[in-house]
Amino acid sequence: MSATAYLAATGSALPGPPVDNATLGRALGVSEEWVDIFVGTRTRHFGWDLETGQVRHTLADLCAQAGGAAIDAAGLDPVDIEFVLLATATPDTLLPTTASEVADRLGLMYLPAFQIQSGCAGAVQALDLGRTLIAGGARAGLVIGGDVTHRHLDPHRDVARVPTEELVNYVLFGDGAGAAVLTAEPVAERVAVRGVLNRFTGLGRPPGQTVDWYGISDRHSERPMLVEDYKAIEESVPTMAREILWELLDQLEWTPDDLDFLLPPQLSGRMTERITEHLDVPGAKEVSCVAETGNTGNALVLLQLARLLPDLPTGGRALAIAVESSKWIKTGLGLEKV
Amino acid sequence: MAYGDGVAIVGIDCAFPLARDTDAYWELLLRGGDAIGDVPTERWDPAAFPAADGAARAGLARGGFLDGADVFDNDFFSVPPREAAAMDPQQRLLLHSAWRAVEDSGVAPGSLAGSGTGVYVGVMGGEWGRLHLGDYDRVTPQLGAGSSAGMTANRISYQLGFTGPSMAVDTACSSSLVAVHLGVGALLSGECDTVLAGGVNLVMSPALGLVYHQLGLAAADGRCKPFSALADGIGRSEGVGLVVLRRLSDAVADGQRIYAVIRGTAVNQDGRSNGITAPNRWSQEQVVATACKRAGVEPREVTFVEAHGTGTALGDTIECAALGSLHGEGRAEPCAIGSVKGNLGHTEGAAGIAGLIKVALALHHRIVPASRFADRENPQLRLAQRGLRLLKSPLRLPPGPVVAGLSSFGMGGTNAHAVLGSAPRPAPRTTAKRARPGAGVFTLTADTPGALIRNLTEQADAVARRPRTAAAALCRQSNRVKTGLPYRFAVTARDTEELAGALREAAAGGLPEQVAHRPWSRPSVAFLFTGQGAQYAGMTAGLYRESAAYRQHLDAADAALLPYVDTSVRDLLLAGDERGVAGDLTQPALFAVAYALAATLTAFGIRPAAVLGHSVGEFAAAVTAGVLTLDEAAHLVAARGRLMHGLPEGGAMLSVQAGPDALRQLLAEEPQAHIAALNGPRDTVLSGTAEALARIAETLEEAQVRARDLQAPAAFHSPLVRPVLDRLRSAAGSTEPRTPEIPVFSTRYGRLLADTERMDADYWAAQAESPVLFADALADLETVCAPTHLVEIGPRPQLLPLAGRAGLATSVEFLHPAPGPEAGGSELAELVAQLYRTGLDPDWERLYDPEVTAGSGEKLRGYSFSTAHRYWTAPPAPRTEQVPAARPAATPPRPTSPLAEPAEPATTDPVSRDRDPVLAAVIDAVAEVGSYPLEQVVHSARFYEDLGFDSVMIMQLKDRIEARLPHLGEVSVQQLLPALRSVGTLAQFLGGHLTEGVRA
Repeated sequence: MSATAYLAATGSALPGPPVDNATLGRALGVSEEWVDIFVGTRTRHFGWDLETGQVRHTLADLCAQAGGAAIDAAGLDPVDIEFVLLATATPDTLLPTTASEVADRLGLMYLPAFQIQSGCAGAVQALDLGRTLIAGGARAGLVIGGDVTHRHLDPHRDVARVPTEELVNYVLFGDGAGAAVLTAEPVAERVAVRGVLNRFTGLGRPPGQTVDWYGISDRHSERPMLVEDYKAIEESVPTMAREILWELLDQLEWTPDDLDFLLPPQLSGRMTERITEHLDVPGAKEVSCVAETGNTGNALVLLQLARLLPDLPTGGRALAIAVESSKWIKTGLGLEKV
Repeated sequence: MAYGDGVAIVGIDCAFPLARDTDAYWELLLRGGDAIGDVPTERWDPAAFPAADGAARAGLARGGFLDGADVFDNDFFSVPPREAAAMDPQQRLLLHSAWRAVEDSGVAPGSLAGSGTGVYVGVMGGEWGRLHLGDYDRVTPQLGAGSSAGMTANRISYQLGFTGPSMAVDTACSSSLVAVHLGVGALLSGECDTVLAGGVNLVMSPALGLVYHQLGLAAADGRCKPFSALADGIGRSEGVGLVVLRRLSDAVADGQRIYAVIRGTAVNQDGRSNGITAPNRWSQEQVVATACKRAGVEPREVTFVEAHGTGTALGDTIECAALGSLHGEGRAEPCAIGSVKGNLGHTEGAAGIAGLIKVALALHHRIVPASRFADRENPQLRLAQRGLRLLKSPLRLPPGPVVAGLSSFGMGGTNAHAVLGSAPRPAPRTTAKRARPGAGVFTLTADTPGALIRNLTEQADAVARRPRTAAAALCRQSNRVKTGLPYRFAVTARDTEELAGALREAAAGGLPEQVAHRPWSRPSVAFLFTGQGAQYAGMTAGLYRESAAYRQHLDAADAALLPYVDTSVRDLLLAGDERGVAGDLTQPALFAVAYALAATLTAFGIRPAAVLGHSVGEFAAAVTAGVLTLDEAAHLVAARGRLMHGLPEGGAMLSVQAGPDALRQLLAEEPQAHIAALNGPRDTVLSGTAEALARIAETLEEAQVRARDLQAPAAFHSPLVRPVLDRLRSAAGSTEPRTPEIPVFSTRYGRLLADTERMDADYWAAQAESPVLFADALADLETVCAPTHLVEIGPRPQLLPLAGRAGLATSVEFLHPAPGPEAGGSELAELVAQLYRTGLDPDWERLYDPEVTAGSGEKLRGYSFSTAHRYWTAPPAPRTEQVPAARPAATPPRPTSPLAEPAEPATTDPVSRDRDPVLAAVIDAVAEVGSYPLEQVVHSARFYEDLGFDSVMIMQLKDRIEARLPHLGEVSVQQLLPALRSVGTLAQFLGGHLTEGVRA
């Protein structure tokens, strides 16, 4: 790729006050301790009322908030934005796309606004695509990732009868959106996207995660909406993460010692700890968010970037790794502040 | 003329058919909307103008008609109904628009009163006058003023108090662009610093339509189809539009939002050309070339031109030929052209401003809307060969500077052209914005409680449509724009979601009276500085993080203390470190917080009418009053803290819920116990040895009197501090106390510090030993200053509860800027909001983070005027008698009732009228002169401010009063004038005059 794209600024949106394990434990009738020990996620945010299930913040609300904050932080006007890329697994409606709804909220017009259907890899995939649009001549664009849980978690569900593997979903995920402004010139945060890795690797493998949806034909289906093969995930993700690390380092001709920061995959507080240990880059400072935000899917890498950028010094290097276990997608980013 | 950097368009307001405001206009343009409709029945009956074949004549049945052209919020502008009804509706529309345009420029319209702001209004013809002044029996002074074209501009100047040039401009269809040209000239020559320019057009009669028809220029379907093969002439249309113009350098300096920059304008004439109404190619070419030259722009650099484009065969051909010969030369991409007339029709006197606003919005949004009817481009125009391209779809403008052109031509041969450029962009940021703006105060004002609710609803909807962001920038803009009207609303908000909710709640719930505050005077605020005991680790750390002003002042206090305490009190406070508020740092820490809070409030414009400090609180009070410098006080407090901390152990303090009389006997028995503070009738603090106080506490407990050990490190305010007083006195020896600039109520003396008394070394030594006479000082403060608000200056409420038990007047309100450990920017902002509601006009800019105030201002919805009154087709009391229309059967837009003989006074008399026949006569006469409904003419209604009386109306009023009160005898206008304050004062004067007459 000829032209470098730069991260000019980030924005994030986490709805409402953080929901801690005690509150969640009470609502679900499970012990707070169990959440602490097995998941290791301390808080998360929900855009819906934990008691009534009423939706207070749609995905478009969150993505517009994050996007607007990113544009503002970059010191740009909405008219400067030349594309909108939104990654999500949980759009508000199939059509119009949440990407176009967000463009509307932000007062954007006459520009490409489209959506990537993805999961934990979505943010990197959108940045990858954004980078090509910058290389194609765009001066600035907006990349957004976000997910909401209200369709997949049921506040009225009798949790006493929910099997444990499904109960985990309630404590693992959270709502949120993150955004980044990509620019052709280094402005504001001036972080160059030096390398992007984006690989589908699930040929012949059963999915590690399924996020389902029902329509008219199958609305009475009893099949679960959200399924994770935790065994497969626990087994595969650390190895995949390590492969991503080394592939990116090789591609960029960097060594682990060159890294000031490491943004590891954000599955849950516990899993992230384990993976980071396995990655074994002690010289790089870990930047994680999952313990506070829960697993926010497409927002994760962008929320990590929002935490990274204020601390990244000029010349500082960071590497982000995200694994999507649905169909085993390996993604990563190599960043350098100029 | 030297254009320099050019003239910035900083405010816009407009209304066009099917587009009630600027946003709706832009939306109409972007979707290629069609604003043409049938002629409203109240204008004229198109069937009355049959063509030869019996069908309605071309162009008389359809056109662009403004919704609500008859609406006027006369009460807002204090215009009496009679006068409103006599005013050309074009004047009324302009008044609404002028107010909103100034608001859009980020300025409260009231704040421009008295400025030399110029007003230039393009207006064509005088249909209103022709329709009304021909009936000589009905001519009134109001109708005379109401029908003059010059008054369109003059009314704006009068109502908004502008003293700069003010004129109507009539050059036929180029009027409003010529008006802009004149306004630009006034700015560039230095005649004005702000200019309001634009135009207005209402189609009140079919007359001009008939003229177009006879000239063969009227489009059959009432639509202009610019540059289209279907073009068959003009469709008439209506509109009003104004822009606020500033020299670019002024606009940038004042942080105004800039839509676009006018870089060059030119006006010329066809001269003796091919007929007075025919366009002239060479003159058009010339005016465009001159404007480009003045702008320093080559025509080939112009990306798009908003053409005059009336959609007449000859006009389109000549315009394209002229444009092509200039803009088509030497360029790779053809020059894009289009005309808004395809959407709106020809808005005549407002055509130039319709185009100007379209171009400004296109440069602002960086999209040029498509030109309607462009898909059937007229091949005879040979646009491609001429280097021109008709915009068949919207054009997204490239990043970077863009130049556009705008033409407007008049039927009599006066041509105008303007060259506009995109607004300058600030240099790209080299760092990201990281500040987390804290809370802001959203303000809104209106002329009545009902109007406030109406505007709250509109603002709530507008805010709710925005993506969620911090609210500070929006709040700050509301402070700049939405202040100045009598009824005030203010709410504290951190983000737009919270703000939208608060606005909606205020608009929906409760009575208007609970939302709308109408202060009649400014609040009088006294500062009470908290003493020792209120301190806690981490006090005001939240406020420090969220308020830039507080940060600045706490930093200053910290820097002042640093040389004397050898540690950063601020850093310890921010770290939540206990050491920061313990031992010899207790008093310096309290002082730092109190100083910073007081300095913050003072910087916001909350200047105390009096200060009172409790014990150690007197030091920050003395700095606030100008008695001590910050450095002197820092030195003194540090020394005092150290000395007091160094007192021998064994001293203690006891707070007792009893008055001194109840304690006298106990104290007489305990020579080692003393009164340390008299805080209220049942709030006393004792000081002494721990043993003596323990014995007293025991006795009190038996007597069931509540007492509490204050955990004080020593027996302050008692003879037990004597060992250190000499050293305290010598530490204070170097200070040079000044005379207070603000009254100081001394808790040493328990009263106002007298002129001869100085807060010198002896004062501070004695102050440390003698009891704190808080209750007496507070009582004297209330008597002398009668404050409306007591603000406690400290890290949590300590004195306010005491004041609450002290039996002050119930009207005194208590406020605290930092009411506890959780307090942050919101609490501070809420204090400002509360004082604003009661009449304070704070220095709002200081409330916000510099990142927020450095911005160019968020866009806020313009004022929503009342639509309750319509003066044209639906006057307040419709006259039953219809003037039989002569041929043609047009129904002239006739302001009926208020211009005609006044209706009989309504029979619903207020009670007071029965009791006072003079008052009743005055009320009737006033209602009649102004055509006011009787219920609006209340006793307290003021003649000038509320009823909009002028000299003409006063003469009329005198006649009517004399007719109603025949016994009154001779009253001259000179006698009457001083009494003309309100309806009540006039009645009182006349009553007195009548009595005198009887006596004589």
